[in-house]
Amino acid sequence: MITLHDVSKTYPTNHGVNVVLKSINAVFPERQNVGIIGRNGAGKSTLMRLISGSEQPDAGTIIRRGRVSWPIGFSGGFSGSLTGEENTRFVSRIYGMDIDLVLAFAYEFSELGDYFQMPVKTYSSGMRARLAFALSMAIDFDVYLVDEVTAVGDSQFQKKCRRAFDARRDRATIIIVSHDMVTIRSYCDSCAVLRNGHLVFFDSLDEAQRVYES
Amino acid sequence: MHAILVQIQVVHALVLRETRTRFGQNRLGYVWALLEPLLLIATFALLFAVFGRSAPERMPTVPFLATGFMPYLLFRETSGRGMHAIEANRGLLFYPQVRPLDLVLARVVLEAVTNVLAFAIIIVVYAAYTGQTEINDPLQVLLGLGLAAGIGAALGLTLCAASVFSALIERLHGPLIRPLFWFSGLMYPTGQLPLRYREALTYNPIVHAVELTRTGYFSGYRADQVNLAYPLMWIVALAFLGLTLERAARRRLVLT
Repeated sequence: MITLHDVSKTYPTNHGVNVVLKSINAVFPERQNVGIIGRNGAGKSTLMRLISGSEQPDAGTIIRRGRVSWPIGFSGGFSGSLTGEENTRFVSRIYGMDIDLVLAFAYEFSELGDYFQMPVKTYSSGMRARLAFALSMAIDFDVYLVDEVTAVGDSQFQKKCRRAFDARRDRATIIIVSHDMVTIRSYCDSCAVLRNGHLVFFDSLDEAQRVYES
Repeated sequence: MHAILVQIQVVHALVLRETRTRFGQNRLGYVWALLEPLLLIATFALLFAVFGRSAPERMPTVPFLATGFMPYLLFRETSGRGMHAIEANRGLLFYPQVRPLDLVLARVVLEAVTNVLAFAIIIVVYAAYTGQTEINDPLQVLLGLGLAAGIGAALGLTLCAASVFSALIERLHGPLIRPLFWFSGLMYPTGQLPLRYREALTYNPIVHAVELTRTGYFSGYRADQVNLAYPLMWIVALAFLGLTLERAARRRLVLT
């Protein structure tokens, strides 16, 4: 379970302070997939970084229960000069995982083949995303934070991710951010709209879509 | 307790990763990193020989230079590489358990190990070549080197965190560090300087690290105004400043 209490975030810019999130309150219950929809620049990725803990809010508190992933789908966190395998080793080390198990799983799941032994800078963005996704599946998280899942791989790979998520539905929670309602409909039970720095929850996806598109 | 274990895990992973990115894919990269300090010391030993200078009080030239250069290099490399830790690894901060402090620590550990290893190689090769194996107090040699690395680590952390707030900070390092090459007693024992200069030099904490290393190495080497408390004070003060700035920098860091 993840609880946000009065969370605010601003960034300094050349022309003053940019307020991205204004005093957000939210509860993400266990085993319930929640979508967060918002336009480009609405602060979706910022919110994900705050929930994951890689950035700190300016004010407010975030309480995390269980193991929360980094924002997945985003291809950062890899060093271009290192191979897919070396990056995988690094990530399994910092999460205290069995390296051989993670390597075997990530190699298999990512379908990178020989590219697994090549520097990540030679990958296409789809391949990077596939590696990131495979890695996160190899590490058992309680909460998966997924940033723009539509960006990850081709339709076949997306089906595979789908199945992997379905398989762990009874123990893992997924929080997905997207600007696309189709993605959210296919994964989530409920949805929140992020607009003008405010996050509003809706039980019905139709209601969320209506508000988002208005 | 759990947090400490996680941090050790993270720093360990970072050190291994840094070894790859710093020295490249083949082992020659690491050999080159070891050779750099060796070549510098060899060059100055050669200059000493060419100009007919010898180390004072009939100390052998190579250990005399090595005990001066290595603490300085340890200080220079740990602070310099530590300072750029965030800049070079910003992407890794996406993993929530990786913090700027870990990035700096990993670089400091790698530089310290590399340079201490280079020092050990010089001493061992020299001993094998000349048959002189006596070291007065090996633990004190390590203490001197450790102090130099400690000051470098604390300064590196401070500059690294401060550079999150201002890009100017990184330019300070060179002008700050380079003069110390001449004012840290690398090529002369500070005890032989006129009192006025000697007293001025004791404000430089690196002098203490160098002279502690030397008194540890040579029996009979005297450095009266050297003490342990002064460089330790620098470490504590800089570490306090660095850790405070690092806390503030964490909030300020923008990852995109």
